[in-house]
Amino acid sequence: MFEYSSLLTFIALTAILAYSFYAVLIAGQLSLAQVGLASLAAFTSSLVVPNEPLFGFIPPLMVGVVFGMAVGAIAAFVLGLPVMRLRGVFLAIATLAFGEMVRIFLINQSWTNGAQGLSFPKLVGIETAWIALALVAFWFWRLSGSRMGRAFAAIREDELAATTMGINVPRYRMASFVIAGAVAGLYGVLFAHFTRFADPNQFSFEAAVDGLVTAVVGGTTFFVGPLLGSVFLSALPELQRTLGIDAGWIRPAISGLLLLIVILFLPGGLAGLIPRRRSSTRLVSDPAALPQLEPLPARGTEVMALRALGKSYGGVRAVHDVDLTLATGEILGLIGPNGAGKTTLVNMVTGVTVPTGGSGTVLGIELAAKTRAHQLARAGIARTFQQIKLFNRLSALDNVLVGGYRISRNTMLRRLVFLPSARRFEREAAAVASAQLIRVGLGDKATTAAGDLSYGDQRRLEIARALASHPTLLVLDEPAAGMNHVEAERLSELIRSLAADGVAVLIIEHNVRMMLALCDRITVLNFGEVIAAGTPDEVARDPRVLEAYLGAEGDAAATAAAEELAEVAAEAVKGHDGDAAGTEGAR
Amino acid sequence: MSARHLTAVAGGSLLLLALAACSPTPSGDTEAGGLVGAGTGADCVIEAEIPIAAAFSLTGGAAQYGSSQKNALEMAVDDLNEVGGVTYALTVEDDATDPQQAIQVFDGFISDGASIIVGPTLSNTAKQTDPVAQEAGVPVLGVSNTAAGITEIGDYIFRDSLTEDAVIPQTVAAAVEKYGLEKVVVMYSNDDAFTESGYQAFAAALEEEGVEVIETLTFSKTDTDFRALLDKAKQSSPDALVVSALVEAAVPLVTQAREIGIDAPIIGGNGFNSPALIEGAGEAAEGVIVGAAWNSASDNEQNVAFIEAYTERFDGAPDQFAAQAYAGMQIIDEAVRANCSGEREDIKAGLGEITDLPTVLGDVTINENRDAEHEALVQVVEDGKFALLD
Repeated sequence: MFEYSSLLTFIALTAILAYSFYAVLIAGQLSLAQVGLASLAAFTSSLVVPNEPLFGFIPPLMVGVVFGMAVGAIAAFVLGLPVMRLRGVFLAIATLAFGEMVRIFLINQSWTNGAQGLSFPKLVGIETAWIALALVAFWFWRLSGSRMGRAFAAIREDELAATTMGINVPRYRMASFVIAGAVAGLYGVLFAHFTRFADPNQFSFEAAVDGLVTAVVGGTTFFVGPLLGSVFLSALPELQRTLGIDAGWIRPAISGLLLLIVILFLPGGLAGLIPRRRSSTRLVSDPAALPQLEPLPARGTEVMALRALGKSYGGVRAVHDVDLTLATGEILGLIGPNGAGKTTLVNMVTGVTVPTGGSGTVLGIELAAKTRAHQLARAGIARTFQQIKLFNRLSALDNVLVGGYRISRNTMLRRLVFLPSARRFEREAAAVASAQLIRVGLGDKATTAAGDLSYGDQRRLEIARALASHPTLLVLDEPAAGMNHVEAERLSELIRSLAADGVAVLIIEHNVRMMLALCDRITVLNFGEVIAAGTPDEVARDPRVLEAYLGAEGDAAATAAAEELAEVAAEAVKGHDGDAAGTEGAR
Repeated sequence: MSARHLTAVAGGSLLLLALAACSPTPSGDTEAGGLVGAGTGADCVIEAEIPIAAAFSLTGGAAQYGSSQKNALEMAVDDLNEVGGVTYALTVEDDATDPQQAIQVFDGFISDGASIIVGPTLSNTAKQTDPVAQEAGVPVLGVSNTAAGITEIGDYIFRDSLTEDAVIPQTVAAAVEKYGLEKVVVMYSNDDAFTESGYQAFAAALEEEGVEVIETLTFSKTDTDFRALLDKAKQSSPDALVVSALVEAAVPLVTQAREIGIDAPIIGGNGFNSPALIEGAGEAAEGVIVGAAWNSASDNEQNVAFIEAYTERFDGAPDQFAAQAYAGMQIIDEAVRANCSGEREDIKAGLGEITDLPTVLGDVTINENRDAEHEALVQVVEDGKFALLD
């Protein structure tokens, strides 16, 4: 035993608690149940920790740790069932209430000795604490580069985008909750068996806030964050003591001030001070690394069939009686003035919105109340959003890697034991993502954070992310918005080449000229219903379409579209006079 | 792990390195014989200063208790250094009312060579810190720990604070004798270590005295409205209310009891032993009976002088925490002088032999369980003051 052994042990233990908060924070959840779970694990472990090694060779602490982690994980799961649907501050309050419930429950049990607390045998020393911390840190280090780690990051950045990439958001959120519970349980058992005594009041709201602060100060974007936070906060009082600052109010005041400085000037926490690459993954442009992807269904296979599909909000019919089919290799355009129901329609097709009328089948999945967006995504649908939904703090390449979720394998367990196959799978996923990134022309911006890209680049990145899932049906919601003519033309080329590969494309776009040139068929919506459908040629000459656009007064985009439409129609008429295949030829 | 990750870990360890660099080298005082002097008792002369360390809660929840402990201990050390022969060097550290901090403070004291550690302020903290000192073979004198199970930690752990188990039976016995109690209602907050152990002591003492407990009602230490519970208590028209609560709950409880017309005496635990009760409850506090290890009205000569000196020096009257801290230093001085040595083992041996030592608390004996024994005072609030119950 030496002077700082307790301090060092507490640094390790506090870091483990902070990792428990980190585990939920990386998935964008704010849970204050951690110390409640730790308390539950610590006190229940007192019931099972034997005095002598179990079967003669399993150390008593090992029994306690395994039991405590199981209790933490199971309690987190049971708590998660009702509270998992909550977000942000509501989740925080619900989990806080749970912590309080645990405290009151334990105080009123006779086996915990109530508020007077319980003595524990001292089974944990500095070595045990640091070994446990090393294992926990190792786990989170290996997690950060795995598919699971990317899924957590995606959920944290944007749940809706994550779910449309095939990520089962509720399941992953629960997974992060359960992992956090197990780590909290570990902390509880180790803490009680180091300090030799615990009373339920120690695991209070303040303790929960302390743990949260440690995790946040350390930083939640890098796996060493919780450790740094713990070193910082645990060592501060001791440092002040050795510097000879008088005991009393001045020390907490200095600590508070330093905390404030860190929070104000280091938004990424202390871990933000560590220089490192923005992304741990690098562009893999070697074509040999590309895996063999499953072939798409044969050209002409029907992938989407909607029959009288509709959606109403109360009395407002946003979309009604839409019949639509789409086959692989086909480009189907969806146009209409703003508010015509185009986005509502694609939201229904991608499982984001539940239809209220009619029926539809997409990639063999019935559109019903129980259909989830991630199921459709896993079946082979990928989409972009009218309002760009990228994972802003992740690099461009990491965004695309999340897109590859559907076709990549979970490597977490393999990574834990450094199996060579983990490297190979990660490299394959990176190769697919890199190829798509290069395909949309963003190869040189692979490490830039998505939020820092220009508007046009963000649009392209969204498309690359959608393509990385190797989709059968690609849904593009205004992909050319913010692009100039040259860029829009390049985008058209890209979409044509996808269709040629056998991808079915459903596209919404205000650029009517581009749509008429690009699509095989166009459906026009107005006030939620189909007013015209057919080849671009037919649609351009349909007077109802022009009327619809002209009718949408005060809408600059609609006016521009109407002008374009009139021009194209005029050109088409001219073309018909001279060359019957004029419009068709432009395709 | 890449080179950058290594940098990260190295960076994280920087604070620790800074700590190690700043850490003072332990003084040579603990070397054998360094603190042994010549002579015994009043004639004892020790050349070196004897390092006394104290861990009190100077910030955080228990700060109000810790600061008066610190004041009194500093005053006691100054007084004893004036006597001559033996000089004490006192270090007071803050445990921030946090057991984690307290353990680290104890670690520091032990490696800096403290001869004895005084504190910590709270019992639940002591349960975590005292095993550390016990393992290192450093004597500890608790001056405010009243919970059960403290001195059981080991043979290096002593205390001069009377436990609830020592005070409450005397309180109950005195009250039963005075008022002829036959049936009572017991109320206590069950989410606090101190009040819960107080309740257990009351329950045992009432049984001992053959008093019937009609009903036992529990509440939370943070509650402030007791009317519903008190109505229930009133229905059984008890001879007295027995309450184990902290002063924050005691004030509204006593006030509301009088409001709804309970005139029976109210017997409180040590939580009631505070001037704040009389200030807060005013008229309603009249007739409240409290047992205490110390009372400002006690006419013990040392006590009168202590109160006067303390009030003058710190511009405020001492409380029980101050008195017990002051007495603690008196006990340590006696233990040091007995063997004329400031060595840890000698102080430990000396503490075990304290018998009828006159202190500000009265004549103190340390029994074979290393707990203090002295007469408790049973007080009753009369005319806005604590008076001795005769």
